[in-house]
Amino acid sequence: MSRVESAEAPLTLSGGASESRVAALEAQLNEAAVEIAELRARDALKTQFLANISHDLRTPLTAVITHAEILRDGILGDLSPRQLESVRGIISGGRQLLNQVGEILTYARGAANQLSLVPTRFGVHEVLRDVSALSEPLLKKKQLSLTIDASDRLPEIHADREKIQHVVGNLLGNAIEFTPAGGRVWLRATHAGDAPTSALIVEVGDSGVGISPEHHDLIFREFAQVDSSASRSHHGTGLGLTIARKLVELHGGRIWVDSTLGSGSRFFFTVPLDPPDDALSGS
Amino acid sequence: MLLVEDNEHVASALRILFESVGHRFSTAASIAEAVAIGVAEPARLVLLDLTLPDGDGLAAIEPLRESGSTTFVALTGHDDAATRQRCLDAGCVEVLVKPVPVRELIARSREWLAG
Repeated sequence: MSRVESAEAPLTLSGGASESRVAALEAQLNEAAVEIAELRARDALKTQFLANISHDLRTPLTAVITHAEILRDGILGDLSPRQLESVRGIISGGRQLLNQVGEILTYARGAANQLSLVPTRFGVHEVLRDVSALSEPLLKKKQLSLTIDASDRLPEIHADREKIQHVVGNLLGNAIEFTPAGGRVWLRATHAGDAPTSALIVEVGDSGVGISPEHHDLIFREFAQVDSSASRSHHGTGLGLTIARKLVELHGGRIWVDSTLGSGSRFFFTVPLDPPDDALSGS
Repeated sequence: MLLVEDNEHVASALRILFESVGHRFSTAASIAEAVAIGVAEPARLVLLDLTLPDGDGLAAIEPLRESGSTTFVALTGHDDAATRQRCLDAGCVEVLVKPVPVRELIARSREWLAG
């Protein structure tokens, strides 16, 4: 960008000098355009690389997890309780890694606009119930109370169930992670009746550590974690909210947060009752 | 049954698993190898990986069917809807995303072999 700074110099030259100056500026602009195109192409290549590599990582992980499950299930003979505990550790670690690789893959596909929707009709309350059931062990471990407030009389949505579940899962995962033991988390769905297009609003709230307002935009950006230091106390790919935003926007919805430091967080997203046409096709 | 899978560690895990429950089991690491094995010994159940060194695993379905293999199941690392549909269109009765929990694999393989 530094090379085009001279464009701001006053154009007070006259005649031939001015023409040659304009020609030089044009040449610089062209050069900058070529450079931008090259950077974009390289960025796209990197995104594709990320998608390929995260996919390829699943194969050796499949080998690790399957071999370990064979041991766990006693197919090759009974294990002692301590051997069993160790093998279970391999499986849990492997599955955790598999999830993280999956998140990176979803992110890369989203960045490359390779995500499309497979919509079905369903009630949002079913998704909230499914996600909370999956989070049961974590909630129990941290002694968090979870409440769900969603009427089964809300209109059904026509959306990609797996992706909506992914969004709620990521938000609830964060709520659990950032809420100290003994706290509260909740899931709520309401009808946004007065919106221009009819939509539902889903809320994922917690009584946890909260997020200072100056970070509210940052947290939805890719690779952003509020504390990016090596000693940061929270783990993860840092992609959870970026992916959530991408999946919500793919449905034509919006995602935002209402929070202050120390007094919990409330994440909201909207899902239109019907998805936008342009999200249905694609590779 | 025949497993078409080019990763030897995944293949060895599935071999241990299926042999331990009494299935006769062959493995092929490419489409060409799978087709050759299928001619010599048609399989009642073929588990297919999609990404093979000599092409798309689904391309093995037709020649294998011609030589007498019957039921095809895709085991894939791709969990997207498009891949799933492609497998079903190519003639797979089921598409499972790896890693499939071993208990599920054992239970399902009994159904596929019975059906």
